[in-house]
Amino acid sequence: MELFAQDLVNGILAGGIFAVVALGFSLVWGIMNIINLAHGAFIMMGAYTSYVLFSTWHLDPFLSIPLAFVVLYVFGYCIQRFVINYVVRAPLLTPFLLTFGLSLLIVNMALFVFHGDTKGITTQYSGSSFSIGPVTVAWTKLWTLVVALAITAVMQAFLTASRTGRAIRAMALDIDAAQLCGVRVSHLYAVVFGLGAGLAGAAGVLISLSYSLQPSMGDPFVITAFVCCVLGGLGTVQGALVGGLVYGVLEAFGSQYIGTGLQDAVALVVLLLVLIVRPRGILGKATA
Amino acid sequence: MSCIRVGGFLALAIAGALALTTAVPAPASAANGTIVFGAALAATGSTAREGELTKEGYDFWKDYVNSHGGMKVAGKTYNVDIKYYDDESNPQTAARLIEKLVSEDHVSFILGPYGSANSATAAAAVERLKVPMVEGNGAAASIFNQGYKYTFAVLAPGFKYLQGILEMARTLKPTPKTVAIATANDTFSVEVGQGAADYANAHGMTVVYQNKYPADTTDVSAVVSAIKALNPDMILNGGHLDEALLLQRTFKEQNVNAKIFGYSVGPDTPDYRKTLGKDANWVFGGTQWSPTAKYKGAPGFIGDSKVYAAAFNKKYGHIPEYHNAESTAACLAFMYAIEKANSLDPQKVRDALQNLDVVTFYGILKFDSRGINVYKPMAVNQIQNGELMTVWPLGVQNAKPMYPTPPWNAR
Amino acid sequence: MGGITGNVTALRVTVTILVLLAFVPLLHSGYYENLGRGVLMFATLSFGWNILGGYTGYVSFGNVVFFGIGTYTSAALWQHWHQQSIPLAIVCAMVVAVVFAIVLGTPILRLRGHYFAIATLGIALATEEIVANIDWLGAGSGQAIRPLEAFSSYYVAMWIVCAASMLATYLITHSKLGYAFVAIRENEEAAAVLGVNATRYKVIAWAISAAMAAAAGAVFAGANGFIDPPTAFATDDNVFPIVMALLGGVGTVAGPLIGALILTAINETLWSHFPQIHTLFFGAVIVLVVLFLPRGLLWLLNVRGGWRGVVATFGAYRV
Repeated sequence: MELFAQDLVNGILAGGIFAVVALGFSLVWGIMNIINLAHGAFIMMGAYTSYVLFSTWHLDPFLSIPLAFVVLYVFGYCIQRFVINYVVRAPLLTPFLLTFGLSLLIVNMALFVFHGDTKGITTQYSGSSFSIGPVTVAWTKLWTLVVALAITAVMQAFLTASRTGRAIRAMALDIDAAQLCGVRVSHLYAVVFGLGAGLAGAAGVLISLSYSLQPSMGDPFVITAFVCCVLGGLGTVQGALVGGLVYGVLEAFGSQYIGTGLQDAVALVVLLLVLIVRPRGILGKATA
Repeated sequence: MSCIRVGGFLALAIAGALALTTAVPAPASAANGTIVFGAALAATGSTAREGELTKEGYDFWKDYVNSHGGMKVAGKTYNVDIKYYDDESNPQTAARLIEKLVSEDHVSFILGPYGSANSATAAAAVERLKVPMVEGNGAAASIFNQGYKYTFAVLAPGFKYLQGILEMARTLKPTPKTVAIATANDTFSVEVGQGAADYANAHGMTVVYQNKYPADTTDVSAVVSAIKALNPDMILNGGHLDEALLLQRTFKEQNVNAKIFGYSVGPDTPDYRKTLGKDANWVFGGTQWSPTAKYKGAPGFIGDSKVYAAAFNKKYGHIPEYHNAESTAACLAFMYAIEKANSLDPQKVRDALQNLDVVTFYGILKFDSRGINVYKPMAVNQIQNGELMTVWPLGVQNAKPMYPTPPWNAR
Repeated sequence: MGGITGNVTALRVTVTILVLLAFVPLLHSGYYENLGRGVLMFATLSFGWNILGGYTGYVSFGNVVFFGIGTYTSAALWQHWHQQSIPLAIVCAMVVAVVFAIVLGTPILRLRGHYFAIATLGIALATEEIVANIDWLGAGSGQAIRPLEAFSSYYVAMWIVCAASMLATYLITHSKLGYAFVAIRENEEAAAVLGVNATRYKVIAWAISAAMAAAAGAVFAGANGFIDPPTAFATDDNVFPIVMALLGGVGTVAGPLIGALILTAINETLWSHFPQIHTLFFGAVIVLVVLFLPRGLLWLLNVRGGWRGVVATFGAYRV
C-alpha cells in the first residue's frame, strides 16, 4: 500500500514536468498543425542554459526559468520566421523531416560545444525531502510541480485574456478569416512557435534540476509530449495539463507493476489504445 | 530534359561524390620503419567521452614508445603510429571502418573500439579478415563465446565487475546478507548484474531484488521505491554513468538507506564526484585499475602505476582513470606479443597473443582460450571524503573500507 | 509529377547503375562491398517505405520494426536452429513480417496523417523495448550470428533483394494495385465511393513494405555478425530511407535508389573529410533538401522551366 501511494505521488510530481513539456508541443501542433520534432532539442537548450547560468554565476535554476524562456522564445521565433515558414503549410512529411533535420543540427551543435560528457546541477537543497506518512516527497520535485502549474496558469490567462492570445485562437479556428480581420499571420505563427520553444526551454530548466544533462537528453521527451497531447486532448492548456498528469501516473504504475524494463513500452501501448479508441483524448473536442 | 543530360547529371553527381570519398591517402603498414595500428573509436555520438579517454590511453603508449627508441622487430627498429576513424558510437560503422583499415589502409593490427556492441561487430569483422585485435573496452562475455580466435580483451570480463564488492562485503562486520541488484538492459550491464547475483547466491547472501531498466532511461523512481520497500543491506547497480548519478540522487531524495551502495561504473569518474559532491561519499565502485595498484610491470614500459599516473597527468591534465589504463594495456599486449613473435606477420602475432603471459602496471596480461583475461582481478574503490581510495583486495588497498554507510539524515 | 511512373529516362539510368552495382564484389575490396551493401540495404528500405508512404500516402515512421523483425529472424535461425542459409532467412523473415503487418495494420491503418505517423513511431520504440525483454531473442544483450565464410554472398543477396524490390515497385505502378494505392493517396473517400476497398489495399501496401524491409534485415544480420535491440531498431534505419525517398523522388520507381546512392555518397564524403562535425552537416543536408527539393530530384528533372521553375515554387507553402 505504501508503495502504491509513493508511486502515485512520484507520478504526479513527474506529471507536472510532462505537462509543461506537452504544453509547448500542443500549442504548435494545435495551432500550426506542425509536429515539432525539434521540441526535444529546445528542451535540451533550456536545460543547458540553466546549467551555464548555474555554473558560471551560481544562479538558482528556478530563477533562470524566465531567462531560458526568453532565449528560447527568440530562437524559436527566428527559426519559424526564417526557416520553417517556407514549408509550414506543406503536406505532413515535409515539416516533419525539416524539424527532424533541425533537431539533428541543434543536438550536434550542442555536442560540439559542450561535449558528450554528462553534466549535472546540484544545488544546496537538492536531495532534501520531507515525509508525509509512508510517502517521501523531494522538495525539488514539489517546487517543480508548483512552478509547472503556475506556468500553465499563466499560459491559459495569456491565451484567453490578452489581445495576442485571442488573435492566436482566432487564427487557429480559421486562418483566412483571421487574416481578413487584420491578424498578421506570419508574425503570429512565429509567436506561437516561439512560445512553444520558450515553454520547452522552461521545461528544460525544470528537468535540469532532477536529471543529468547530455546533448541527447531532450529526444525521449518528444514522444512523451506526443503521448500527453493525445491523452489529454490537443490544442488546449487544460488538455496538456491533464495529459501530463495522467501520463505521469500511468508511467509510475506501469513501470512498477508491469516491469521497469517495459516502462516506455507501456506508455506507447497506452498511446496506441487511446488513438484507436478515443483519438481526441480526455478533454479534446470531437473534430468535425 | 534530354536523356543525355539526365544521365550525365546523375552519373556525374554520384561519381564525383564517390571520387571525393576515396581521396584519403592510404599509408602502408611497416613501410619506411613505422608500424601502423588501426582503431575505429567514437569521437562523436553517445560514447564520445569514453572514446576520447580510450584514445588518450592509446596515444600515451604511442608517444612513450616513439620517444624511447621505438619497437625492435627482427633486427629493425620501428616507430609506431595509430590511424583513427570515428565510428560515431555506432557498431556497424565500427565494423565498416575496420574493413576500411584492413583492406584500404593495409593495417594488420587493430586496437579495439569502445563499448561491447561495437566490440562485438568488430570481433566478427576481424575474424573474417584474419587480423588480430586487442581491446580494452568491451567486456561482455557474449563476444567471446562465439569461438573467435582473433579477438583478445585485456580487461576483466563483465561478470566480475561487482564481485569484488561482494567479496569485500563478506569480510566486514556485521556481514551484510541481503542485496538488491538493478541493471541497465544492455549486453554489458546485464552480465555485470548476473555475475553479482551468481556470486551472492553461491556465498550465502540473498538476492532480494534483481531487475532491469531500459538502457537510456531518465526515470528510476519505480526501481528506487521498490528497493526501498525491501530494505536490503546492499544495493548494487550495473549500468552507466548517467544512471549511477540518477540512482544515487534518487536514493537520497527518497531517503533510501543501505549499508553498502555499489556501482559498476561511475564512482571512478571525476564527473561523478564533482556532480554529486558530498552525496558521493561512502559509495563503492568496482574498478579494473587505480593509480595505487601495486603491480610491478615488465621492462619495456612504465612498470609502476603511480609513475604512469603522474606522467599521464602531466601530458593530459588529469589523473588517468581505468579507461585510459586499460587502453594503454591493450597496446602493451600488442607490443609484447610482437616482440615475442619477432615478426609483423598477423598470424604469428595472433599466436603470440594467445600465449602471452606478462605483468604490466595494469596487472597481468594473459588470455584464456576464448581470448578473455580471466586472470585479472577487479579491485574495489570507495569515495572517502571526496577522495577515491582503493579498499580491496588487501594486497593493493591504500585505505580501509568505511562501513557501514550512515543514513542520509545522519551525514 | 510526370505521372505515376516518374521520369522514364531517369529510370533507365537508375537501372543501369543497379546493374553496375552487381559487379562490386569483383573489386575484391571489403570496404566497397560494405559500402555498396549499405546502399542496397537502404535502397530496399526506401523502396519499402515508398510503397506505403509515396504511393499510398501513409507516411510511416516505423518501418524499422520490420527491418528489426528480419534481423531477429536471422539471429534466431542461427542461435536456435544453427541455420546460416540466406534464402531461408529471407523467406522466414518475410513471412513473419507480413503476419505482423497484417495483425498490426488492421487497427493502425484506421488512423490518418500525423496520428498514423506517430503511432508507427510509437510501435517502433515499443517493439524495441519489448524485444529487449525477451530472453529467447537474447534480451538486451543481443545475439551473435556467425557469418558465412563466403562473405560476398551477403552482397549478392542484398543486391537480389534490392533489385527485386525495385522490380516489384515497377510492376505495382503498372498494375491495378498501383492505381488503387494512388487513388487512396489522392482522396481516400472518393476512392472508396468508386469501389476501391481502401482497408484491404492499405494493408496490402503495408505488407509489401514490411516484406521488403524484413528481407533487407535478414541479410544485414548475417553480414553484421551481431544483433541487439539498438542495432535492429536503429533510428538511422528508420529515418534515412525516408530522406532518401524524399531526395530521389517520393512516389517514383527510381527515386529510392537514386536517393540512397547520393545520400550515401554525401555521408561518406562528409565523414572522411569532416569527422568531427559530420552528423551536424548531415542535419544541414536534410534541412536543405526539405526546403529546396521538397519533391525530390526526379521532380526537379520534370518540372517545367527547369531551375527557374524550382525557384518559383520555393515557398509555395509559406504563410
